[in-house]
Amino acid sequence: MSIGESIFLFAVAVTMGGALTAVFASSIVYAMLGLIAAMFGVAGLYIYLNSTFLAMMQILIYVGAISILIAFAIMLLGPYSKKYRDFRAFGKLMAAFATAIVSVLMFGRFILENLQGDARAGFAMTTKDLGRVFTDKLILPFELISLLLVVAIIGAVMLSLNSRGDK
Amino acid sequence: MNDLLYNNSNIYLFVAVFMLFCGIAGLVYRRTLIGMLVSMELIMNGAGLNLVAINRFISPENPYGVAFTLIIMGIAAAESAIALSIIIIIAKRYQHIEGGDMKELKY
Repeated sequence: MSIGESIFLFAVAVTMGGALTAVFASSIVYAMLGLIAAMFGVAGLYIYLNSTFLAMMQILIYVGAISILIAFAIMLLGPYSKKYRDFRAFGKLMAAFATAIVSVLMFGRFILENLQGDARAGFAMTTKDLGRVFTDKLILPFELISLLLVVAIIGAVMLSLNSRGDK
Repeated sequence: MNDLLYNNSNIYLFVAVFMLFCGIAGLVYRRTLIGMLVSMELIMNGAGLNLVAINRFISPENPYGVAFTLIIMGIAAAESAIALSIIIIIAKRYQHIEGGDMKELKY
């Protein structure tokens, strides 16, 4: 096994372990740390998919913005959950596990049969291609994303302003 | 070159499916709203990884998968900002953030 393959397997393991930690950790802070680990693993997989710009954006947006936002929400809310953890959720957990395992087996068989991937050499997504496609063919979704961000900012500000009165 | 491990599309798709079902299990299992939001982020990451893998292995001449993954990142940022502000307001009003107990608008 070459060194590239071992780093790739490490990224896959970090992603899957981070996803499991994000779902099944008992503390919400550990869940957030698992989410951050999964984001870093996915960024490594993006690098192996020859999309380095996307990997940088993944670290910048998810780890730098969304995880910090979740961390601030956890710090602002504090221990607000009434019952910390109860065992009524155990049945739900078993049901979700069974569904997940059956679905993964099904989809794994589907993937193995249908998509034998052929890696064509020369796929490199540069920022030049991305800029061209965003200003040429995908100009409407690009503008709609900026509109969505503006609406989200105004909505968050309005929600925090309106909730100050009825405290 | 094709027999290297990271030039095989099945592993990427398997990781994407694994993240999707981890997110679904978290949506069912978690009781607080922040845990559900973390699971939603996992689902969106799995979708993005799936799009980029399909783009790289099926049609490498178009950059649409990477472009839509960038759009998914923007949507995830806006969604988490709005959701966290709503969660903070809910915590101020109800003094807890458990999803199962909020049923005033249900009936």
